[in-house]
Amino acid sequence: MTGLFPGFLILSAAMFALGALGVMLRRNPLVVFMSIELMLNAGNLALITYARYTHTMAGQVFALIVIAVAASEVVVGLALITGVYRSGRRLDIDALSEMRE
Amino acid sequence: MNPTFTMVLCAVALGLPTVGFLVNVLTAGRLPRRVVTILGPGLVLGSFVATLLLLVELLSQPPAHRGITIFFWQWLNLSVGSAGGAVGHAGFNANFTVRIDPLAVLMMLVITGIGGLIHVYSVGYMAEDPGYNRFFAYMNLFITSMLLLVMSENLIFLIIGWSMVAFASYALIAFWYQRPAAVTAGRKAFITQVIGDVGLVLGSFLIFLNLRGSNGQLLHTVDLQTIFANVGPGPHFHNGLGLLGGGMVTVIGILLFVGAAAKSAQWPLHTWLPDAMEGPTPVSALIHAATMVTAGVYLIARFHPVFQQAPIAAGIVAAVGIGTALMAAIIGCSQFDIKRVIAYSTMSQIGLMIFAVGVGAYSAGMFQFFTHACFKALLFLAAGNVIHALQDEQDIRSMGGLSTRMKLTFAAFLVGSLALAGIPLFAGWFSKEELLSSGLALGPAVPWLWVLGVAVNVLTSFYIFRVVWLAFGGQPVTSGAAAAHEARPVMLIPVLVLAFLAAVVGFLNIDFFGFHPVTVFSSFLQPVLGTPAAHASDGIQALALVVGTLLSLTGLALAWGVYGRKAISPGLISQRLPWLYQLSLRKFYWDEIYTATLVRPTLACAGVVRRAIEPHIFDGLVDGVQEGVTTLAEDLRTMQTGFFRDYALIFFVCAVIGLVVLGLRLA
Repeated sequence: MTGLFPGFLILSAAMFALGALGVMLRRNPLVVFMSIELMLNAGNLALITYARYTHTMAGQVFALIVIAVAASEVVVGLALITGVYRSGRRLDIDALSEMRE
Repeated sequence: MNPTFTMVLCAVALGLPTVGFLVNVLTAGRLPRRVVTILGPGLVLGSFVATLLLLVELLSQPPAHRGITIFFWQWLNLSVGSAGGAVGHAGFNANFTVRIDPLAVLMMLVITGIGGLIHVYSVGYMAEDPGYNRFFAYMNLFITSMLLLVMSENLIFLIIGWSMVAFASYALIAFWYQRPAAVTAGRKAFITQVIGDVGLVLGSFLIFLNLRGSNGQLLHTVDLQTIFANVGPGPHFHNGLGLLGGGMVTVIGILLFVGAAAKSAQWPLHTWLPDAMEGPTPVSALIHAATMVTAGVYLIARFHPVFQQAPIAAGIVAAVGIGTALMAAIIGCSQFDIKRVIAYSTMSQIGLMIFAVGVGAYSAGMFQFFTHACFKALLFLAAGNVIHALQDEQDIRSMGGLSTRMKLTFAAFLVGSLALAGIPLFAGWFSKEELLSSGLALGPAVPWLWVLGVAVNVLTSFYIFRVVWLAFGGQPVTSGAAAAHEARPVMLIPVLVLAFLAAVVGFLNIDFFGFHPVTVFSSFLQPVLGTPAAHASDGIQALALVVGTLLSLTGLALAWGVYGRKAISPGLISQRLPWLYQLSLRKFYWDEIYTATLVRPTLACAGVVRRAIEPHIFDGLVDGVQEGVTTLAEDLRTMQTGFFRDYALIFFVCAVIGLVVLGLRLA
């Protein structure tokens, strides 16, 4: 089991990087949203890996909190996306840029 | 003297006008007029009563003990401990202390007594004015400041009083702030006063920095009595104020005189006084005749131990005094504004006082101050009655025939004129003859200064009786003058009280008849001012008295000949000596000279700065900052692309950089 720890951490890093790339490159807000979830779960994986490694519970507790936060974030995020869609606008992040200079 | 009782009296004398000022100011004009009418003059008269009690206290003591320093509170304590203090530095303490001695009490009596009468008069004179409350606020402030100035036992509070007086004077000259002339005159007065303040402050600095005690140590004191005790002659003289030996004390004397000259309207800082007549007439009487303008005389009398060590400075004082006296008297002969004639007469009379204190006749100078305060306040207030009756007409050519229409005012003005001219048995005669004979005995350039002094006598009685005949004699020139009527009792009673004083106060010097060196008045001041260094012999004094009196009468006769009997044409001098007439009419061109040498170059410099430096350097600096910020903002705003991925990228890049930095630090 101990020999697998680096592997879990590498997986976590890879998932985080993929998520980050998705956030930066994709234009569909739903996909961006999924990428954020991927990053959060990459974080969760790293937390749990370290928790196992150090034989403490703090990491696992923290991962549970992250899941709870992620759930509430999904509620807000999906509501926003639905709201934008209902207002008849294209679901394209680049098009949603009224706040620029 | 009972110190506690004296302290209470001082606090009352100084406190009552202060209360009047504060109440008037803090209620911001909402106080009913009836209350102000009682409060304004009432508090000053209360202060006068306290001063009278102080006088009684003082007189109950033997002459040698007539001087008490009362400590109120410690104002500033900068004691340098022995650890940190350099050798020879005793630290520095400034206390709020007052000095009650004959000189201070004399000044206080005039300030509160004549000041109180003028306050009463103001109730009538200012009755119609919308700024009634403001007027009394300023007047009370003036009384407070002036009392602080004369009572202070401390250079710092003396300077504070000195400057507060200048402010009160400014506020009252520019009292009718809707009139541009009044505002300009106020500003001119204030600027001149500040020049004087700088002189006084620099002089005080030099005293503070250079005064040494009997053991050769620097004293660093601001207490006047300590200063006077250590500047005197003796083995420590060259240590005392001795940075430049006798030179330093001369510099100090001249600097103090700059202060005195600005306050007392002496050449070359005299031009503000005639313009100050733009203020209400009670102000002219109180501030620009009786009290404030004599503060310079008080300063020199108070600092006489310094001037006694500085014969050159004292000589300058005397020469400037007599020169100003003569110049102002010449100007007074050709002016037509009744207040300006009296203003030039004030300048001239103060010139004589300055001359007296310059030559060392301190008590003669102070006696002239005392009588002058009475008769000059009287002349101004009587002139105020005339101006009031004529609906603000001040030109004596538009008056005439007032003697039958305003009998009491005329009688009072006549008494004032006789006193001013030095006609025997009136107040001015006693003081002026004593002053001139002292000048003859003590003057550095005798008898030339004395000759100039008696020349002033002729001119003085000429110009004041010119006013008497033009304004009160003959027939009314205008319908306004014909319709004039006597003033209200509230304005008449103070005038009559002053007329009584102007007629009798001279007798305080009654011993003068016996040519006795010590009189009631001078023996009162003797503990402070000492006795004059020299006396003229009886014969010379008698001669001086007779010549001076005859010349005064000559001036009176001349005025009668020209304006009363009209036997001599007034145009005679302007035709025979046109240059002298022009010089007098144009006030010796001093305003023009100052305009040409000071005002114009300053404006020219300002113009250059405005055209060359201001737009390029200062504006350029300001514009540059503004442009820099704008450019920066222009560049920075392009960062706001509105593209979510740009923000995410920046966020991640920064996060990575942060992690790397953190990792390096941990490693």
